[in-house]
Amino acid sequence: MSTDVMIYANGLSKQYGSFRALDNVSFAVHRGEVVGFLGPNGAGKSTTMRILTCFIAPSSGTAKIRGEDVFDNSLAVRASLGYLPQRAPLYLEMTVYEYLRFAAKVRNIDESLFKSRARSVVEICGLAQSLSKEIRHLSHGYRQRVGLAQALIHDPPILILDEPTSDLDPNEKAEFLNYLKQIGKDRTVLLSTHNLKEVESACARAIIVSRGRVVADGALDTIRAKSGRVRYSVEVQKAAGGTPSREELERALSGIRGVKTVTEHPTDEGAYSYSVDGEEGQDLRADIFRLVSAKGWVLLELHRDTQTLEDVFRQLTIGDERRNRQFGAQAQDAGDDSDGDALDNDDETDDAEQGES
Amino acid sequence: MSTESIEKTSANHQVMPANAALSELGHEHGEDNRGESAEPESSPTSLALSPQSGATLTRPSSAQMVWTLASREVRASLNSAITYIVIAASLVVVGLYFFYYKGGFWQVDRATMARMFDALPFALCFLTIPLFTMRSLADEKRVGTIELLITMPVKDSEVILGKFLGAFAMVSLQIALLAAYPLVMFSRAPFWHLGELDWSPFWVGMLGLLLLSMAGTAIGVMWSSFTESQILSYFATMLTLVALYAIGSVTIVEFLQGGVGDAISFVSLQSRFEPFARGLIDSRAVIYFFSLTVLSLAVAFRSLESRKWT
Repeated sequence: MSTDVMIYANGLSKQYGSFRALDNVSFAVHRGEVVGFLGPNGAGKSTTMRILTCFIAPSSGTAKIRGEDVFDNSLAVRASLGYLPQRAPLYLEMTVYEYLRFAAKVRNIDESLFKSRARSVVEICGLAQSLSKEIRHLSHGYRQRVGLAQALIHDPPILILDEPTSDLDPNEKAEFLNYLKQIGKDRTVLLSTHNLKEVESACARAIIVSRGRVVADGALDTIRAKSGRVRYSVEVQKAAGGTPSREELERALSGIRGVKTVTEHPTDEGAYSYSVDGEEGQDLRADIFRLVSAKGWVLLELHRDTQTLEDVFRQLTIGDERRNRQFGAQAQDAGDDSDGDALDNDDETDDAEQGES
Repeated sequence: MSTESIEKTSANHQVMPANAALSELGHEHGEDNRGESAEPESSPTSLALSPQSGATLTRPSSAQMVWTLASREVRASLNSAITYIVIAASLVVVGLYFFYYKGGFWQVDRATMARMFDALPFALCFLTIPLFTMRSLADEKRVGTIELLITMPVKDSEVILGKFLGAFAMVSLQIALLAAYPLVMFSRAPFWHLGELDWSPFWVGMLGLLLLSMAGTAIGVMWSSFTESQILSYFATMLTLVALYAIGSVTIVEFLQGGVGDAISFVSLQSRFEPFARGLIDSRAVIYFFSLTVLSLAVAFRSLESRKWT
């Protein structure tokens, strides 16, 4: 088993001044695993990846890639990695072809091998039309493809990808995830993303970090079950004369055995809509139906939501966002900043794509 | 462009590479490719599904690596308009200074290039060296490309050496182009033939310029490694070099005299360069320039390494 561990992190901590970016992060990724690395902005995903790729050193703790320490044997580590940093920072004045050549040379790939590798990489990343273009003229989505291409050019056994899909359009994302599944069979991939759908479609396992700590690590099903709650959507018709009243309905729903919380959703004039959280391992649908029919109300909708990864993600990491908004002006600013960035990114992508067409 | 983006968004764009664009990868491969493209299912897997190990994970030798990095630097510089502007403007200014400033070359009325070495070191310190070194590490840090570069199997020392040699090559190119002046003026037909030039002092002067530039470039790379701002890097380098040069001026050294004056003329670029301008190769100066280079590059290396800890 131990020889199969490709990425190993043990007690990684990183201190920036008084800010603790990483706090005792430990995990292991085995050969052939595609692992989603999740967390809100600023949770420590990129810091972890930078340590694993030897760009920065941890304040404490050890990290090993294929058994080689990232600090003591950093060249061997870097040789066996393909890394795509966030937002694909490339040399803008080079053409795509020149860049790939450069990456190949640094990795000691000779001319003939380079040609065959470049050909497959260009096919995988869909770069055939862009080969002779300067990178500065490419949209962000295409730059990301080039970043991916350079990470694959030496056919590395381990891929570390920091938000590889953030600038891709839905079609490109689908293609990319498809490809990831294929190569993930006997390679090891650590993939950070905000997009939980991607994790669900490409990874069997996820690691969730929040505030520099690992808060969940395991198969997606296990993580999904972690919340220990089941949610039901209930919609009841508002009869003429406003019966039942809102209070009556809420009281009745809360009174059902096993119901934890009842939350009202805004809806149109004709109905009341509620989310009802119940304990796991207990189906409340029958009880809800009986209650409603006994009172003579009209049930418009009743269904049980399967717990999504997104819910768990929010539950586990909500503290980060709360903290951003809780304190005085400074904390508020931080929260606003991160929102602003997200919007900016979208704008940039749009512009770039418009420029392209 | 629009047809391209339509193709890109169609689901199977990855399996229909344009063979024309692939021609850079070799025509023979282009042919193969057309065959493969016909079978959409097979192509994405053509990157061998079993990861390679061993042979492909080796590194090129350090010398090769430095060469790769340095030549990338040179190509990037040659790709930038500012390079051509600087080189052309310098040549024009040097020409005007040489021939016309205070009567210029004609008034001297001797076949000598000594005049060229009066002002050139200062011009290099003030403009050329800071301009060719300001980008080197500062811009990589600002844009973030340094992260991709350093996470490739490259030693920090190779990065610094590559950056240094790349910038030094550009400065050397600028200096070498200056040799065009005496070649045009004093070589035989078809150019002017203004007399027999004693070439040795000229070449010694050029050697001096190269040595001075070497040290200056290293200082520039060092400043560039401290900051993310090219402008800051430019001014820091320029001020350092101009200060190191100007403190050696005869008036200052004579005014201070004694130990202080000696100390200043020991570290000043101007007093170290002065023998070369007269056609003398001063071994102490050679050692001085090399020491300054090594010291600055060592500091730059430490500064690059410090990213790990901060």
